[in-house]
Amino acid sequence: MQRELSIILENKPGALVRVVGLFHQRGYNIESLHVDPVTDLTKFRYIEERLDLKLEENEVSHLLIKTTVSDNLLRQILRQINKLIDVLLAEENLDT
Amino acid sequence: MKIAGNDILIQSLIKEEVEYIFGYPGGAALHIYDAIFNQNQIQHILVRHEQGATHAADGYARATGKPGVVLVTSGPGATNAITGIATAFMDSIPMIIISGQVAKHLIGTDAFQETDMIGISRPIVKHSFSVESAEDIPEIVKQAFYIATSGRPGPVVIDVPKDTTSPDELFDFVYPDSAHIRSYNPPISPEKKQIERAVEAMLKARQPVIYAGGGAINSNASSELIKLNDILDFPVTNTLMGLGVYPATHKRFLGMLGMHGTYQANMAMHNADLIIAIGARFDDRITNTPKLFAPNAKIIHFDVDQSSVSKIIEANIAVFGQVKDSLQEILNELESRRNEIDEKKLDDWKQQIKYWKEKHGLDHKMHLSESNEHPIMPQAVVQHVYNITNGDAFITSDVGQHQMFAAQYYHFDEPRKWINSGGLGTMGFGLPAALGVKLAFRDSEVVCITGEGSIQMCIQELSTCTQYNLPIKIININNEALGMVKQWQDMNYSGRHSESTYQSSLPNFVELVESYGHVGIKIEKNSDLKKGLEEAFAIKDKLVFVDVYVDPDEHVYPMLVAPNGSLKDMWLSKDNKV
Ligand SMILES: Cc1ncc(C[n+]2csc(CCOP(=O)(O)OP(=O)(O)O)c2C)c(N)n1
Ligand SMILES: [Mg+2]
Repeated sequence: MQRELSIILENKPGALVRVVGLFHQRGYNIESLHVDPVTDLTKFRYIEERLDLKLEENEVSHLLIKTTVSDNLLRQILRQINKLIDVLLAEENLDT
Repeated sequence: MKIAGNDILIQSLIKEEVEYIFGYPGGAALHIYDAIFNQNQIQHILVRHEQGATHAADGYARATGKPGVVLVTSGPGATNAITGIATAFMDSIPMIIISGQVAKHLIGTDAFQETDMIGISRPIVKHSFSVESAEDIPEIVKQAFYIATSGRPGPVVIDVPKDTTSPDELFDFVYPDSAHIRSYNPPISPEKKQIERAVEAMLKARQPVIYAGGGAINSNASSELIKLNDILDFPVTNTLMGLGVYPATHKRFLGMLGMHGTYQANMAMHNADLIIAIGARFDDRITNTPKLFAPNAKIIHFDVDQSSVSKIIEANIAVFGQVKDSLQEILNELESRRNEIDEKKLDDWKQQIKYWKEKHGLDHKMHLSESNEHPIMPQAVVQHVYNITNGDAFITSDVGQHQMFAAQYYHFDEPRKWINSGGLGTMGFGLPAALGVKLAFRDSEVVCITGEGSIQMCIQELSTCTQYNLPIKIININNEALGMVKQWQDMNYSGRHSESTYQSSLPNFVELVESYGHVGIKIEKNSDLKKGLEEAFAIKDKLVFVDVYVDPDEHVYPMLVAPNGSLKDMWLSKDNKV
C-alpha cells in the first residue's frame, strides 16, 4: 500500500540527503518526494509540544515522501529515519 | 586568550581527555599536525596505513570503552580510513574520525586530493560534521563525542577544510560543558510496564535462554547480567560480539551460538520457550533462516536502538533503553517477586541441556595429542594460548577459521577482552587493533590470533609496533590458505579451491618480523607446540610472532546448515550432519 511519510528535519546542509540516502541503503523505493523550508509554523505547533522545544521560521524543513510498504516495514523505516541525528520527527501522514 | 583553528581543534580533544590520536599526515591536515607538535598532552601514534589507524583506534575503544580518535588527511587518507570506519559502524564502536579536507574555496573543483568524505562515509557513520569556521570547532567536537558515545555508539566523522585550521586567524577558545542536540534524544530509562511484563515472562518460563550480544558490552551491563542470572539461573549464550559479557567458565554458560556456535547453545535457542535478547540483533549468522528460528519462543528484546527490535525477529516484549539500566530495573522488580521463583521448574530443561553438552559439546581433548604423526590442530594452538595466559589476556583476532577457533576455545570470563570484527568481518583488523589495546593496557598480555591471509592485510603495522615498542604476541595460525573460503569450497563447491591458496608464495614470516626488530618463532611439529608457545610468552619486552603450521584440511565445526536450515541443523564434523 502506498503511504506518505511526513518528516521534520533540521534545515541544514546534508540533512536531506541522509534521509534520501537511507531509503537507498535499506532498499526502499521513493515514489514521490517534496521538501520545503517551514515558513508557516502554525501547522507544526504540535511538534513543539510533543518535543518540548520552540521552532523558528525556516529553521526546519518539511519533507513528504511517498513509498509503498507493508505495516512492518513502515515501522522499521520510521524508526530508522527517526534515528538520524538531524531528524526531529518522522511519522506516517494520515491526513491524506 | 585567542588561538588559531588548528589549536582549537587539539585543545578541544584535550578537553575530551583524549590520550591518543591514531593518524597519518598529509597536505590538508598539516595545520592540525603543527598544533599536535606544539603540545604534549595527547600522544600521536603514527601508523603505516590509515586503515591501521582506524582499527587501532577501534581496538583501543573496544578495550577501554572510551572513543578512539583518528586523524587522516584528505583524499587518499580519507578513503583509506573507510574500511575501518565501516568496521566500527557495524559493531557500534565509538570513534571520532577527523579528516582533513581541501580549503573551502576549492571544494567542488576537483582540487588536488579532494574527495567528498562526508558523502563517501555517510552510510557507515552515525553522524558527520563539516566544519564551516574555526569558531564552530569546539561545539562540533563536543557534539561529535556526545553522539559517538551515547545511545547506540558509533563512528562520527568531522571533515575539516584546511582554511578552518589556518594558524593565521585567531579566535577565543571556549569549550562547552555539555552537548544538547534537540533532534537527538537516545532513550534513557525503560518503561515500567515493559519491565513488569518481562519479569512476568521470566517467572513463567520453563525453557528460557539468555542471549546476550555486543550491545551488553557496549552498555557495560556485565555485572547486572551476572547478578540477574544469580537469581534466575537461566542458561546463557553469547554472540561472537558478546563473548565475555557472561563468564565463559560459569556453569550456566552454553558457549557461543550461531553459525559456528556450540551444539548446546544452538539447540537451546531452537527449543526455547523464552529468549531474552540483551543487546543482540538477531543477525543472520545467529538466526539462520529467520522463518525457522526458535519456533516456540516468546522474545523479550532489550536494546537501546529501537530500529534493531523486531527488524528480523518480531519481539513480544520490547524494552528500550540502555540495557545496563533496563537490567537493573529488572533486578529490582525481580527482587520484590523473589518468592515466586520456582527453581524446580527449570530442572528438566537443565537436564536436557546437560545431555546436549555431553553428547556433542566442544571436544577439548582430541586436539591435544603431542604425537608427530598428526599435524598441529589449530584448536590446540588456541587451547595452549588460553592455558599459558590463564585465560586473562586481551585477544584480538582477524577473520576466518582461526577467528572461530579463538572464539570457541579461548574462554573469556570478562567483557572487553575479546576484540574482533564481528559485523563487517574485516581481515586485517587484528594486528592494528592489538596495537591500540596494548597502548591502553601496557601491563597486560595482548595477543593477536590471526591467519597468514589476514595478517598480510595490515602487516605494515609491525613497523608501528617497533616505533612505539609494543610487545604484543602474534599467533599466526598458518594453514597456508584462505581457510574459511576453502572450507566453504569443500562443503558447497565439491572441493574446487578457486583462488584460496597461494602456491608457495608466502613470505618467511620469521625473517620478515625480524627485519622489523621483532622476534619470530616457527613451529611445525606437535611436539614443539607447547614448548614453543611457552617460550614466546616468556619474552616480555619484545613483539613475538609465532608462525604455527597447522593441519590445512581442518574445518570449523559445528557449522549451521545453510541455506534453508534452522538453528538445530548443524554439521558436527565432515561427515556428521544432525
Ligand atoms: C577484507 C576481507 N576480504 C575478504 C574476506 C573474505 N574472507 C573471509 S575469511 C577469509 C580467509 C581468511 O584467511 P586467513 O586469514 O588465512 O584465515 P583462515 O580462515 O585460514 O584461518 C576470506 C578471504 C574478508 N572477510 N575480509
Ligand atoms: Mg589461513
